[in-house]
Amino acid sequence: MREFFERISKIDRRIIYLIVLVGVTIPLLTRKGFEFKPLPEVKNAYNFIENLPEGSNVLISIDYDAASMPELQPLLEVMLRHLFRNNLKVIMMGHWPLGLPLGQIALEKIAKEMDKKYGYDYVFLGYRPGIAAVMLNMGKEIRMVFDVDYKGVPLDSLPMMREVHNYDDIALLIGFEAGSVGDFWVQFAQARFGQKIILTSTAVVTPDLYPYYQAGQIVGLIGGLRGAADYEILVKRKGFAYTGMTAQTVIHVIIIALILLGNIGYFALRRMR
Amino acid sequence: MLFLYFIFLLSPPGNVKARDVPNDAGGKIEVTWKLSPDDSLLDFYIIFRQTQTEAGWSTPETLMIVKRGLSKITDTDCKDGVKYRYIVRAVKGEEWVDSSPSNIAISSAQWFHKKRASALILLIIIVGLLLFFIQKARKGEELFIRKITGLDAIDEAVGRSTEMGKPLLFTLGLGTIADIPTIAGLSILKRVSKKAAEYETDLIVPCFDPVVYVAAQETVKEGYMEAGRPDLYKEGNVFFLSYDQFGYAAGVDGIMVREKPGAIFLQGYFYAESLILAETGNSIGAIQISGTTAVTQLPFFIAATDYTLIGEEMYAASAYLTKDPLFLATIKGEDWVKILLIAVIVLGIALETIAYFLKIPLLHFLKQFFTII
Amino acid sequence: MKKEVPLIITFISGFLLIVALFIPHEPFGSLQERFNDWYIIVSGFTLILGVDSLLLYHWRKIKTKDKDAPYSIILIITFITVLLWGIYSGVKHGNPFAPASTFLRYFYTYMFVPLQATMFALLAFFIASAAYRAFRARGLNATLLLVSAGLVMLGRVPKGEIVVPFFIAITLILIAIIFVLEAVARVSLYERLLYFALALISLIAIIPLSILLREYLPALADWIMNVPQLGAKRGLFIGIWLGAIAMAIRIILGIERTYLK
Repeated sequence: MREFFERISKIDRRIIYLIVLVGVTIPLLTRKGFEFKPLPEVKNAYNFIENLPEGSNVLISIDYDAASMPELQPLLEVMLRHLFRNNLKVIMMGHWPLGLPLGQIALEKIAKEMDKKYGYDYVFLGYRPGIAAVMLNMGKEIRMVFDVDYKGVPLDSLPMMREVHNYDDIALLIGFEAGSVGDFWVQFAQARFGQKIILTSTAVVTPDLYPYYQAGQIVGLIGGLRGAADYEILVKRKGFAYTGMTAQTVIHVIIIALILLGNIGYFALRRMR
Repeated sequence: MLFLYFIFLLSPPGNVKARDVPNDAGGKIEVTWKLSPDDSLLDFYIIFRQTQTEAGWSTPETLMIVKRGLSKITDTDCKDGVKYRYIVRAVKGEEWVDSSPSNIAISSAQWFHKKRASALILLIIIVGLLLFFIQKARKGEELFIRKITGLDAIDEAVGRSTEMGKPLLFTLGLGTIADIPTIAGLSILKRVSKKAAEYETDLIVPCFDPVVYVAAQETVKEGYMEAGRPDLYKEGNVFFLSYDQFGYAAGVDGIMVREKPGAIFLQGYFYAESLILAETGNSIGAIQISGTTAVTQLPFFIAATDYTLIGEEMYAASAYLTKDPLFLATIKGEDWVKILLIAVIVLGIALETIAYFLKIPLLHFLKQFFTII
Repeated sequence: MKKEVPLIITFISGFLLIVALFIPHEPFGSLQERFNDWYIIVSGFTLILGVDSLLLYHWRKIKTKDKDAPYSIILIITFITVLLWGIYSGVKHGNPFAPASTFLRYFYTYMFVPLQATMFALLAFFIASAAYRAFRARGLNATLLLVSAGLVMLGRVPKGEIVVPFFIAITLILIAIIFVLEAVARVSLYERLLYFALALISLIAIIPLSILLREYLPALADWIMNVPQLGAKRGLFIGIWLGAIAMAIRIILGIERTYLK
């Protein structure tokens, strides 16, 4: 008896890893999804985009890299599709140089799919060093930071950019965050220039961003896989994030079950002593 | 014919106003107008600018073309001291109509950012309190600091690691030298390196940021020097690893598994790699002391390491470890600022609550005072 | 002198930046941006220091025929390959990450991205093992943490409310068992009755709690996240930033000088 309790209070970590692996893999392979209601912060983000007038400029900032790709990339594609479907214009840039190619790949892919034209419907600006400096200067004149796009074409030669000078000309900023750049966007673009912002983030970063949402500094917050799944439901295109949520439910249940087991062992052993 | 003409007669935009943008470095004028009643029919507005010269107003130059529905622009291309006025033209196809000219505006730079007055006052109070307590400490007043177990555990951790014949590992996280947690981490590193030198134990410091790497190298050297054992310092033990988050995590994990350090210090600013490092450290059975101001990572550290310095405890490290009265004085000052802030928060909550229920806008003054742009 | 000059530079630049926040007029208005630009330029050069350290570290290992020398050889070869490949693609396409570049297509997509994602994915395993080890109901605080963690974890995933009654039942039955064991161990009749009563209450509580949580679990999870969690976090933030201000003042005044030699 004692041996049994000792065993469940000290399960080898490799066994836990194995259970987690199985718990994640099976739901991902079966691709079965549960129905659920989207969170209000995601709904607000969706509604804000839905209500933007056609032709508005939306700035997307890629502030993540390959590590967070599984969490943020599916959402980026879904959002790009939504933006293009509503005939909004997309300006893409980023603060994580090694993640920018991911943004570019998604942008080119979805633009091709939706039959959008470079320079007219979307542009890709690329990366400039200095997070705060870039944000502050963009509030004055985008050309102070990006005088050319990533291919070296002057901004004024791109038809959709001719009338875009600063945040006043950008109806919405969507930041894809895997670190602290989101805080900078709020501090500089929102607090100083009143830019409307939606932040989407990895689950680890999301709790940091809730205060901004509560304080009304950002108009929407799409956090982690759950946020992405909610968004997929709202745009009626259930995909990777939606099915991924099943894996998340399973893994949460497994972790709680493990915690419970550990506590049973802990209490039993304590009593035996 | 006359009838058709009447239909297409556009109404002009009204009430065009120009004013210097406040709290800026000059060169900017904000122009606002009332939308033309026919706004929904328009194609766009053209904003013209005129400059006053000795011969009167210059010919209008086109400043900007904006979409219908917009009623505000900022002219960012002004010369300070020059008199400007603006005209807004509503355009629909071939038709157009001009507003009457705006008032005269002159852009200028300001010497004080009025909206940041509250920040300035707070800054003066905070610095004043800190300086006051520093002054008091200089006069030799005794100051008390509460026990911080995480810092007390440093010596024990170094000692235990030495007994086991294992090296120590210290990581400063992903912060740059511009991040204050990194500097706090460096002051802890100094203590650890001094102890390591005393106990003749190896200290491995893999770094993420090249500048931090140089600073860490100097700090460790200094620690060994203070302990009187500069001969024990090994050049290759403090090194740069990678400037990539997960590359760094993989590298440090590899070192942990290969070198099996007896004690691991995770002190600095961490992101998602925190748990990857802490769990690996735990799996090799090392005693771990962590510390960060990254609030999101604190739960991971608390769960996976033996001791955690929570937030400001880290900043208190150098004061706690050196017991230098000047350091302690700033912590005392901090406590007083905290009391002050709590008082202001409580007052603010009370005022806002009353203002909400009794609908007295005057009571929002505190909130307005602290709204900084 | 070696110490005084850096301290004077620190004091002047720190003081200037604080002052600049309140003066929009030039030359102060753009000071922050200018300092930022300088920092970017300087930090760009420091990368050379890092590379120097990295290569020297591994070169030393190879030279001394350390047992890990083969890994060092692999590192140096990879370093040179990636560097040259990047330069080649950059020269050929104007940008190493241009859509047509082989650097992007092969190195970035097939090596860099999966490697980074793998490291990040380890978190799923580590969170499970850390949670299992750390979440023990050792006292009141630990128990509160444990319960709220469980509620949030289930409340934030779809169908969590269906699983929750099951967990509540197990937990409360276990608590009841503990109470019964406790009662058996007691001598006084009063205490025995008390513990039996507590055990009974735990068992009865299963039904109403399950029904309530099945209905309100997501709302409860949101409340935990938005009220107690955020409140505590704001408190922490205020403390951290005050600490940072005090530290910054110590640095500007030259009291804190760990970062100097």
